[in-house]
Amino acid sequence: MIVTVATLIARRLLAAIPILLIVSALLFCVLRALPVDPAAMSLPPNATIAEIEAKRSEMGLDRPLPEQYAIWLRGALHGDFGQSIQFRRDAGSLVASTLPVTIQLALAAMVIAAVLGFGGGLLLFSLRDTLFEPVVDVISIVLLSIPEFLWALILLFVFGVVLRVLPFTGEVAPGLPLPRVTGFLLIDSLLVGRIDIFASACLHLILPAVALGLAFSPTIMRVLRSSLFDVYHEDYIAQARLRGLTERQILIGHAFKNAVLPTLTLAGVQFGILFSGTLLVEVICSYPGMGNLMVDAVRNADLPLIQAIGLTYCIVVLLINTTVDSLYVVLNPKLRIR
Amino acid sequence: MALPRRTLLQLIAGAAAGVSTPVAHTLAANNDAATIGWPNDVASWDPNQRFTPDAQPIFKAVFDQPLDQDPQLKLVPHLIRSWGLAPDALSMAVELRDDVTFHNGDKMTTADFRYTFFERVKSGAKLDIANSMRKVQDIVVESPTKAIMKFDSPAPTMPQWMTFLGSYVVPKNYIERNGFDNFLQKPIGTGPYKLAEYELNSRIVLERYDNYWGPKPKIGRVTIQIIKDPSARVAAIQSGQVDCTINVPVREVQRFAQDNAFAAEITPITRVILLNVRADLAFADKNVRLAAHHAIDKMALSKAFYGGAAVPLSVLATPGTPGYIPDFTFKYDPALAKQLLAQSGFGPDKPVKIGLAATNGQFPSDYDIARAIVGMWKPLGIDAELQVIEYAKYFELNRGGKLPEATLYSWDNATGDPEIFSGYQLNPKMPFSPWKDEDIGNRVLALFTVADYNKRIAGYQDLERYAVENGATMPLLQSVVTVVRKRNLGYQKYGNGWLLPQTLQWT
Repeated sequence: MIVTVATLIARRLLAAIPILLIVSALLFCVLRALPVDPAAMSLPPNATIAEIEAKRSEMGLDRPLPEQYAIWLRGALHGDFGQSIQFRRDAGSLVASTLPVTIQLALAAMVIAAVLGFGGGLLLFSLRDTLFEPVVDVISIVLLSIPEFLWALILLFVFGVVLRVLPFTGEVAPGLPLPRVTGFLLIDSLLVGRIDIFASACLHLILPAVALGLAFSPTIMRVLRSSLFDVYHEDYIAQARLRGLTERQILIGHAFKNAVLPTLTLAGVQFGILFSGTLLVEVICSYPGMGNLMVDAVRNADLPLIQAIGLTYCIVVLLINTTVDSLYVVLNPKLRIR
Repeated sequence: MALPRRTLLQLIAGAAAGVSTPVAHTLAANNDAATIGWPNDVASWDPNQRFTPDAQPIFKAVFDQPLDQDPQLKLVPHLIRSWGLAPDALSMAVELRDDVTFHNGDKMTTADFRYTFFERVKSGAKLDIANSMRKVQDIVVESPTKAIMKFDSPAPTMPQWMTFLGSYVVPKNYIERNGFDNFLQKPIGTGPYKLAEYELNSRIVLERYDNYWGPKPKIGRVTIQIIKDPSARVAAIQSGQVDCTINVPVREVQRFAQDNAFAAEITPITRVILLNVRADLAFADKNVRLAAHHAIDKMALSKAFYGGAAVPLSVLATPGTPGYIPDFTFKYDPALAKQLLAQSGFGPDKPVKIGLAATNGQFPSDYDIARAIVGMWKPLGIDAELQVIEYAKYFELNRGGKLPEATLYSWDNATGDPEIFSGYQLNPKMPFSPWKDEDIGNRVLALFTVADYNKRIAGYQDLERYAVENGATMPLLQSVVTVVRKRNLGYQKYGNGWLLPQTLQWT
């Protein structure tokens, strides 16, 4: 199994190279097609035409587009994504400082989405052909129709303003320091032995993570239910019944194990979408991640930073897909044989 | 592995403390700490680099300016103890205080002053203060506290520039010793607060600098929490997660004003909302420009979008500033607007077509104001196509001559001096206004070299009146700043809207 998984990962990583090249080239061309001039924007407003031209030349913007892309790519391969126009700092270091915050948030949200999604899916399926089925069905559709940013606002209002039980600004309470070791605050607070910071960080994580998780759980819920419906038509379910197993044993012990595979694929795809969904939630909850940075970058037409963040999103999604596919191989014996 | 009972109890207590911190924060105000909800982060910790009005109060907490302004915006000594502008305005002698230290203990001297306002600018570093200091030919250091600024042309407003955006003294030795990147990571200034902690797009923690030369801040620790979303700022102050916040929607300010736990204010400041106009395209016709201006009901805009607190303006200056002309009014007169349009062959049946650009979310109600103006123009015969532009693209579009006939714009001038109002807005050589016209341009440029203060101010008043009467600009409203705070948290109000952390105090 290890060999199969390792082969799959190696193949995926090889395939990722042309994908990343294509995505980065597309991103580069689209951003250059926008009616903004990165050279002019990186200078003070009173810059003269000559100064702008000099800057344009320094940035390589007076060269043909393929050559510009080659220059950018060479820099990117050496870890140089250019200077952010807004922050006038290396775009790569800005992304690196915010990426762990977003990954931590997305992972927490995914755990919540998975718990709610799998739990809800099992509940939905269990309530089939009962009076509760249409009610729960409607609830799941309503949940499905609420986007993550609306969840963030609703939760913020209810738990932050009305009940005042959850904080919603920043990563930890104002009086506490922010230890930075790995960039993942939950881990770092434990590494420095500050359980109070860990607890505060968990509290601050709840609202944005639940907002994201709630928005993505209904899809998992509904796909799991429909997979369970499919699985229940298989012969081995009938045989399990003949063997005298209870409905609960059949659902958990046989049906769920098989129905979870397509749901897992969907969860992988969802994680990519969820990762990009952090954008607005981070702004609403003042969470200092990459989404928040992207909003700044777009607002200021900060092309080098948009390019760096866009490429990072792409890499993260590719990594997630590879992980999910590997998991799929681990969980599905048929794929290992093939 | 067994966990000792004592350790377990300590862990639980620690966790409980962490959990309770935000809630406790909402209930009990720590007299030596305060949290402010702020809409934007600083772009960089180089205070000379960017002209960002929103970051000014943060920079003023960590760094000091050579001169300062009192709450009524009058120039007052600060790092500069005394100054003397030569009659020809070609030089300015300054005497610095001798009791000022940077946060690392180094003494601030004229070497730092020269480094900031001359060496850095001439070194080719791309700094926005290169704009304000462009006339500085040299700074001759006479002693650690005395220097003479030399200008290549008369610089009568240099004292005002010493209080403007970007004019903060930075530590020469510290930067040269540790490198500039290190300064950006651990910036030090001479201000009343030290930067204790900074987390990009999250928070700025300031700690009182005990060796500050001036009045010590009343609050020892101020946390500036970056909350970009206005609704989230409202929620944060409502829930007690911050003690004070700014730039919340006007309707929310009115709601908070009814709540005894809060104080909420809408304060007019030295920021002008105007229509920047072109001198060509459909606006080449003066009648059309004047008609467009006469057709705007500014009081209605103020009532609709700023609760009536934004003062309608007829000139490019705000009440109380030197360039303001109290007895000059450009009246709202739709009938006259119709008449002017008819003179040029336009009317409701044959409207003149123009473009109107506006930002959406750059300043409060910007897009809504633009929509309302389009609505006011339409029945009179001005058919405006509204387009949204990003503020970041404004200068680029203007430089390329791609702005439409009119653009809704907000112009901030913390000094209140008319040079930075109409002098900059109407100067065709500067990147701010799309109005490129020799007549007005020459009038503006002539004023830049007038050394006599009274003559200069009178000249600007004449220019403002002339520009408005000729349709070269359309001032609309004096902008406002909104502040919501806990009732027992006081602060010093400034005419330019500053909310300075060092003036906060619990009562």
